[in-house]
Amino acid sequence: MGDFIQFIENSAVAAWVRESPSIFAYTTVLSLHAMGLAVVVGVGTVVALRLLGAFKALPVAPLLRLFPAMWIGFTVNALSGLLLLAANMSNLLANVMFIIKLVLIAIALVNMELLRHSITGYAQAGEAQGEISETPRTRALAASAIVLWIAVIVAGRLTAYPNFVSALFS
Amino acid sequence: MEFLANLLESTNLGDFVNAHDWVWPLCEIFHFIGMAALIGTVGLVDLRILGFAKRIPIAALERLVPIGVAGFVVNAVTGFIFVAGNPVGGPIEYLENLSLQLKLLLILIAGINLLIYYFGGIARQADAVPPGEDAPRSAKFVAATSLIAWFGVIFFGRMIMYNDTLLYAFGL
Repeated sequence: MGDFIQFIENSAVAAWVRESPSIFAYTTVLSLHAMGLAVVVGVGTVVALRLLGAFKALPVAPLLRLFPAMWIGFTVNALSGLLLLAANMSNLLANVMFIIKLVLIAIALVNMELLRHSITGYAQAGEAQGEISETPRTRALAASAIVLWIAVIVAGRLTAYPNFVSALFS
Repeated sequence: MEFLANLLESTNLGDFVNAHDWVWPLCEIFHFIGMAALIGTVGLVDLRILGFAKRIPIAALERLVPIGVAGFVVNAVTGFIFVAGNPVGGPIEYLENLSLQLKLLLILIAGINLLIYYFGGIARQADAVPPGEDAPRSAKFVAATSLIAWFGVIFFGRMIMYNDTLLYAFGL
């Protein structure tokens, strides 16, 4: 495992992201990571709020079109995240908050797909708009989507402060 | 600039930030949540106006904008704490930071753009667009400006800590 981490960290791509003075290296990758986060969390939360019963003027079925946008945001973050991980792998894998963040993202993605499925079923049934938010299952998935995405942001930000976090738990 | 820095320094926020190591990470968490709120609402209205997910009525999406404004207020407050409460180099370090200056300029442009949208009669035209239909060209121009400005705000926001890289890229 240690050899693998060394191999990745010493790779040309990882070294470029970490050490190049180019504006397109570390800083642009980091910016893209923030932009993707804003899209996934922002749009995901808006969809969840609608399914919780807010903004009833928004028809639910066309919200399905927003899921590809969320997946684009997520793809940007998966790719930029992999580059940031490669550049700093040994530190990040030893960072508890980073591991927690990855687990939360995995759960949030499953949650997002389950939410999409419940809207798809609703859209195919062609029911009158507004009723979908009444089902307890959809409400629960929408609420957990918001909680999970905010938790991902918290864990992600705390990943940058390992000393602060370890002081909290000691 | 010096005067503004002294004024911000007189808030003694730096001492507060220095005394409590939770202030900075907590403000950053809120700053990122505010950013997501802004992009997820205002950015979504922009995308719809540009022709994405056309079956969603623009007027209904615009009801989301207050959430974006709330996100902006959260970020203005936490951003003020970052600048006024900078524990290392003080406010002047941020005020002289080119990345922050460009970020603030883009926020100003985005703000003026929003005023033009609402008070220039463009919002009224866009709201009248039925689901499935194209928004008028003027609305698309405002929406494109808004998207570019806000994503630029994120870019230069992240560049603040790496201002040397920006200066290097500009040959400064």
